[in-house]
Amino acid sequence: MNDEKPLLKAPHWGANVTTYLFLGGIMGGLGLIQLLCDPRDESMRKLRRTTRIASFLLAAVNPPILISHLGRPERFLHMMRIVKLKSPMSVGVWGLVLYSGAAGANMVRELAQSGVLPSWMRHFAPHALTFAQAVLGAFTAGYTGVLLSATAVPLWAAGKRHIPAASISSGAASACALASLLSVIEGNHEACVKTERLEMVASAVEFAILMDFRRVSGDYGKPMFEGPRAEKFRTVTLIGGIAVPIALNLLGQILPLPKPVDAARTVVASVLTLLGGYVLRETFIESGKASAAVRQTAISQPT
Amino acid sequence: MATGFFTDTTLCIGCKACEVACKQWNELPSDGFSFTGDSYDNTVELSGTTWRHVAFVEQIAATPDGVEDRWLMSSDVCKHCENAGCLEACPTGAIIRNEFGSVYIQPDVCNGCGYCVVSCPFGVVDLIDSLGGTAKYSTANLQESRLDASKTALAHTGGVAGKCTLCYDRQTLGMVPACAKACPTDSIQFGDVATLRERAKERVTTLHARGETSAQLYGADDIGGGIGTLNAFFLLKDRPSVYNLPERPVLPSTRQPDGYAAAAVIAVGLAIAGWAIFRSA
Repeated sequence: MNDEKPLLKAPHWGANVTTYLFLGGIMGGLGLIQLLCDPRDESMRKLRRTTRIASFLLAAVNPPILISHLGRPERFLHMMRIVKLKSPMSVGVWGLVLYSGAAGANMVRELAQSGVLPSWMRHFAPHALTFAQAVLGAFTAGYTGVLLSATAVPLWAAGKRHIPAASISSGAASACALASLLSVIEGNHEACVKTERLEMVASAVEFAILMDFRRVSGDYGKPMFEGPRAEKFRTVTLIGGIAVPIALNLLGQILPLPKPVDAARTVVASVLTLLGGYVLRETFIESGKASAAVRQTAISQPT
Repeated sequence: MATGFFTDTTLCIGCKACEVACKQWNELPSDGFSFTGDSYDNTVELSGTTWRHVAFVEQIAATPDGVEDRWLMSSDVCKHCENAGCLEACPTGAIIRNEFGSVYIQPDVCNGCGYCVVSCPFGVVDLIDSLGGTAKYSTANLQESRLDASKTALAHTGGVAGKCTLCYDRQTLGMVPACAKACPTDSIQFGDVATLRERAKERVTTLHARGETSAQLYGADDIGGGIGTLNAFFLLKDRPSVYNLPERPVLPSTRQPDGYAAAAVIAVGLAIAGWAIFRSA
């Protein structure tokens, strides 16, 4: 009977935490894209504007999502009374707050430059914040992985390098997908060529990391790669969210498709990538719950 | 001076007086009533509202001389680790080390994020879903204002983390924790940890001399994995896993540097790739 007793407690996290991690990854990736855009180029200037607005909006919705998990708004403030370097949850929330500040200031400058806001407001953000938002973005995306890997849940602990690495590459791929999607909507087709190339690189890196994790994680990885969730993960993330979008994007780079067809291709590829990114986080969380219930991997925990 | 528990499982008779005393003193609600069919263990595990759990292990084996059976009992509790995963993980500072060296959760500061739950390598901490309106949660120095704050924190959503406080309130009044006070066999001994460790080592020597060669201490010395010693340690008669204790627990925060490093490598790589893609003509 004792063999069936759980040793560890399963995480209490559901769809809101999954969404929080997913959006955190996208925010991080958008931080990189807005740094990469060369403002001398018309389509890149448009892309920078779009990614800056999108990144601030995402940064603004993430605290309410976290609050929906905590129950009451003032509980978020409990985390603002302390900075604790040993707690990924603490430094992550501070990273999110600082990122929101940088993204907000960059958005104000962007809107002032394009005449939506009074032009003197362009001095609101120094140029260094462009770089700062990228660095804070990388941290925000990476922390969504460290948050999981620095726990006692055997699956997450076994992925102490793979989960943060997969989180940041998936975040970058999803950010590129969102940027492509928004660019198509506003008719900025030139920008998609670049965001889709970067998306292919990020997705390929993500795929390689996940395959390597499956190879090295052994018994610890079973709840993710062999459990009841494995099929959804394979279909929606590995095939639908990585392989198919890479193929579609490659097609777009090679074939001179007519514009409406190409736009439809971008939309499909982007939506699939975003879906795959969400399911990756969902798989991490849900198979983490299953992993906590496996007694043997809890008795001998990953180092 | 750090205080703690020495739980000598060779003396435990499975009476569950510790469980009852703990529930009574800390005014913790019932977890419901169910028969598991697993020996006398209907408590199953430690939880946010169960801070002592008497584990029953029935070992029955066929031998050439007939059937050999043994019944192990052990009162499990929060280990109050030297380096505590929950304390390190807590983003609000709700989890502190108090003046008695115990790991203590301040319920009015806790925001219910649940990160301590997944950061305990022993699976001790859990969220308290709801206290059902009638029970209250008495803790923290017996100061009325503080108690009121605690109750307010719980009244709205429940959803704060709970675990053994090592009877912080009783200790401030110079009293022995409720479980140790109630234990009829001195299986649970409370006191200065250094003194308890010496006593435990003598006890193991005695047991070995009597032929109980499997007697071993769990957590009296550094348990490894970065956790250090346990302020609540155990004398066991079998391997730790038999009692549902991890053989190789690891402090979760030790995995952080590797995680950030891996993320940084990928970030720099993607930034270089992105630069090549975006800034090429």
